[in-house]
Amino acid sequence: MAVVVETGRQDAGRVVGITVLGLLSAAVALALPYALGHALDLLLRGAAAGWWVAACGGLIAAQTATGAGEDLLAGLTTARSAARIRRRTVRHMLAAGPRAAGKGTGDLVTRVVGNASDAAATPAAAAALPAALAAPVGGIVALGLTDVWLAVAFLAGAPLLALLVHRFARASADSVIGYQNAQGRIATLLVEALGGARTIAAAGTEERENARILAPLPELGTQGRRMWRVQGRATAQAAVLVPLLQLTVLAVGGIRLSVGALSVGDLLAASRYVLLATGIGVLVGQLGAVVKGRAAATRVDEVLAVPVPAHGTRQLPRHGPGALELRAVTAVRGADTVLDRLDLTVPGGSCVAVVGRSGAGKSVLAALAGRLADPDGGTVLLDDCPLPELTAAELRDAVGYAFERPALLGDTVGDAIAFGPRPLPFEHVTRGARAAEADGFVRLLPDGYATARSRAPFSGGEIQRLGLARAFARPGRLLVLDDATSSLDTVTEVRVARALFHDHAHRTRLLTTHRAATAARADLVAWLDAGRIRALAPHDVLWADADYRALFGDAADA
Amino acid sequence: MRELRIRDCVRGRGAVVAVLLGWSVLEAGQTFLFGFALAHALDQGFLRGRQGTGLWWLALAAAAVPVGAYGTARVFRGIADLVEPLRDRLVRRVVRGGLAGAVRAAARGGGQPADSAVVSRLTHQVEIARDSLGGIVMVLRSFAFTAAGVVAGMITLAPVLLLVVLPPLAVGTALFALALRPLARRQRRFLAADEAVAEECGALAGGLRDITACGAQQPMAERADTRIAAALRASRALATWGVARTGALAVAGQLPIVLLLVATPWLLSSHRITPGALLGAFAYLTQSLQPALQALLHTLATSGTRLTVVLTHLTSTPPPPPESTVPEPAGPPAAVGSGPARGFLAASVPLPGGGAPGEPAGPPLPDGVRGGRSTAPAPKGVVLDLRGVTFAYGVGAEPVVRELDLAVGGGEHLAVVGPSGVGKSTLAGLIAGLLVPSAGVVRRAGAVALVPQEAYVFRGTVGENIGYLRAHTTPALVTAAAAAVGAAGLVDALGGPDAQVDPAALSTGERQLLALARTYLAPAGVVVLDEATCHLDPAAEAFAERAFADRPATTLVVIAHRISSARRADRTLVLDGADTTCGPHADLLAGSPLYRDLAAAWAAATTGP
Repeated sequence: MAVVVETGRQDAGRVVGITVLGLLSAAVALALPYALGHALDLLLRGAAAGWWVAACGGLIAAQTATGAGEDLLAGLTTARSAARIRRRTVRHMLAAGPRAAGKGTGDLVTRVVGNASDAAATPAAAAALPAALAAPVGGIVALGLTDVWLAVAFLAGAPLLALLVHRFARASADSVIGYQNAQGRIATLLVEALGGARTIAAAGTEERENARILAPLPELGTQGRRMWRVQGRATAQAAVLVPLLQLTVLAVGGIRLSVGALSVGDLLAASRYVLLATGIGVLVGQLGAVVKGRAAATRVDEVLAVPVPAHGTRQLPRHGPGALELRAVTAVRGADTVLDRLDLTVPGGSCVAVVGRSGAGKSVLAALAGRLADPDGGTVLLDDCPLPELTAAELRDAVGYAFERPALLGDTVGDAIAFGPRPLPFEHVTRGARAAEADGFVRLLPDGYATARSRAPFSGGEIQRLGLARAFARPGRLLVLDDATSSLDTVTEVRVARALFHDHAHRTRLLTTHRAATAARADLVAWLDAGRIRALAPHDVLWADADYRALFGDAADA
Repeated sequence: MRELRIRDCVRGRGAVVAVLLGWSVLEAGQTFLFGFALAHALDQGFLRGRQGTGLWWLALAAAAVPVGAYGTARVFRGIADLVEPLRDRLVRRVVRGGLAGAVRAAARGGGQPADSAVVSRLTHQVEIARDSLGGIVMVLRSFAFTAAGVVAGMITLAPVLLLVVLPPLAVGTALFALALRPLARRQRRFLAADEAVAEECGALAGGLRDITACGAQQPMAERADTRIAAALRASRALATWGVARTGALAVAGQLPIVLLLVATPWLLSSHRITPGALLGAFAYLTQSLQPALQALLHTLATSGTRLTVVLTHLTSTPPPPPESTVPEPAGPPAAVGSGPARGFLAASVPLPGGGAPGEPAGPPLPDGVRGGRSTAPAPKGVVLDLRGVTFAYGVGAEPVVRELDLAVGGGEHLAVVGPSGVGKSTLAGLIAGLLVPSAGVVRRAGAVALVPQEAYVFRGTVGENIGYLRAHTTPALVTAAAAAVGAAGLVDALGGPDAQVDPAALSTGERQLLALARTYLAPAGVVVLDEATCHLDPAAEAFAERAFADRPATTLVVIAHRISSARRADRTLVLDGADTTCGPHADLLAGSPLYRDLAAAWAAATTGP
């Protein structure tokens, strides 16, 4: 809720404005029936009613103006809050980095997009609450002031009728479920067929597949018609409520009229007060919006509560070798201590491969090495400087990353490779792409490097190579490759390795891998086991150990 | 398939619309009776002190309420008859379009299509179209019949009332109609801007690790800011134009009330109207016309635009397949006939020239394939003959395959290796006829079955899946095919040929086994395995490859994921751009540096350094 309170405070003037306009509008709506009734009575008596007719005109104009003003102000305020909350959430998310996606990317997107916009609507919805309450309550009171029996008739009739309607509104849920099930079946069959598109293309069975996927369509139609029928019944039941209430009040009013207790004008006013009084539904809707907004705001607040890592002010020594050192580093993920007071020194300019079972913490180690995450204990140093003491810019210029499944960002393929804090000369982009064996397939695209990313569906191996190209395109003393060649076929892997071991030999390289061949090329292999480095030695020395060989399972899979 | 517009949704559905309108008459009747009965209850009852008569009239109005509601309920059935066929059409389009797009992309060797986009279209956008159309028809009809009821009522009470009511109603509606287009434009911009924000935030959230690793927070924040600012502008414009709606509503719905009051002295003095009729007229204006008008304006301004946008989205996206990419298949395997690959050689296309089939002999880097154009005559018994084949993915793009010559003899086992992206899958597509070469000829003697990396298993029985490519199968054939490729254990574990398969419950390797068994049973003499065994362990892969190599009268082309596949082949084609070579293992070791590298990497990994 904090985020809503804050945006509400920044827009305090507008929020008060919405409340005032809403209350004004409600007051006008309550005054209008009285004025109408009074004018009508005067006119029926043949008396001069000019002023009262003018008052009615004025009230109607005022009602339109306040209503329009309130809607406009609410719309503008909500738009502004949405923009403000989104800007803030995006900036916070970027500053917090991968930590912000703790509960999964999909969840984070929902929070930043959907929840932020629901939360943004809360100040305006809350500001409209007093008016939403004032109108129906005022309507009932006005009904009672006109004639107390009218209020009695309304209050007695409303619960009875509401109960009647409510009973029918419940029946609709189960037809919706039937409909969604049929829809889900079609979606499942479609997704399966999309996955087998190449088989279908080769076998020429597209028509057959269409028929198979669309087989549940008649069932969908049947369920859909049932849904409309149920909805029709519910709507019809609800449509009965207000007219019957009105007629009840009018019947009582008519009897009172016949005994001279009410005038025709009073009856006109009463029929309008009944309408206002039944507006209690609006209040329920507004309350619902506020409650929903509150829940949404809580979810946005959780994103804003993710801590942002602090950066220092230090720079790295000018021509440092890029020596990486992990001192007594501990990392806890959930209930598990993944790294346990681990020590590892990677000499500047060397290449160290990190191997270990799946889940041994290789990726955690890779993330700590370039401060994508902070350790729960211990220190990570680059050229003797603890990473948190470096400025953010210095840190990112010094460390490059490539991942197993890189997320490519930027509009074009070239932008995706040049992705970084500053624009990059085009030669660097192509040089990186060549080293990563990506230049070839990028040039085959319709517009080469200028091809829009959305127009180029890449395979897993191609995405991995673009991610490598991105890492190769920028200089920096440390290069961390987190399983970044796992999807490459043997030939490409050999070529990328050539680039990695010859062209980038001056950089310190830390790479995690499952492949024996990759480990064999590294200067040293860091064998990660039980949260510690079990051994740090060349591959051919370690190969003698059966446990080590077992890490690579089926070795032919290289 | 052209784009669908809103008016297409009702075109040609006259009967349905007539039924819909017929039931709406009941609603109009209820509207009519409300004011009419109120007027008479007053004039003939309450105002004359006759309470019974007054109540009787009101009871009549009350009785009309459930009747009108019954009409409303029946109207919904009419709406179902109007909307459900549209929904069917949209679902068909989404499914056909989605599958056609995926099949085209897959034939071209493209990556996986975005499943989530298609599913969102199917479940989310189709539903928006369905609800919006239902809503629009509902309010349009409701407004028309309420207005009709009001007009009929006023004519009965005092026709002169129409003079007061109709002009402002007409002006207000005209004002709204004028505002509708700009309003719709702003609504459309708003939807687009909001979608852009959602997309950007999605990319941001999904790429946080990479953004942090690349230090690109600042440019990304600026990009997001631009989109957020655009969305803010769009929603401001929309809110501002909302005032037009309120204005139109005031003119059409509220102005008549004031006019009626102003006209009252004249109406009363000329005895054109009774007090009861006056009350009835006010009731018509405030209780019936105004709510219907409000619903109409609101729904048209929002749902109308939404429906247009969604219809455009749903029906314009997959363009019709361009002629050039429609494969000219070697006949769909299912149609070729019975019996696994029997007699397919007899149907072979006559090929010119003579010479030995691709037996591994002769010069170090011999026959068949060459980067440059070969004039060597195609050998006898050749079932696959590629001559000067060139293929590029776009007019301006560099060719993926350039002037490739390749002849594969009947019964031969060829492996294809090379870096990914070099065109191995493209070659598979050319051989299978999924792709048509930009230049050169591909000749095939008989049917070709292509097994891609991503095995297709669908919800159905094991037998249906394995017999997918054959006109008639028996459980015995299914079991035999499964046993041949090493899937007997899997079929048993699944519960035999008649058991149901849940694709999601199978591992990728198990799916590949089923796809291999299916292909074993297919009536095709040429089998192309395009990394079709990559999820099997090496022993299972070797078993399956051997099964196809030993299958009678079968020519096997294996696009290799592992170099081990090349060891088993008679010949191996090393695709490496200009350095493309072809030959048996020993020759390639001697003559191809790339192949040597590969073999060395493979050896290092298997035996250690």
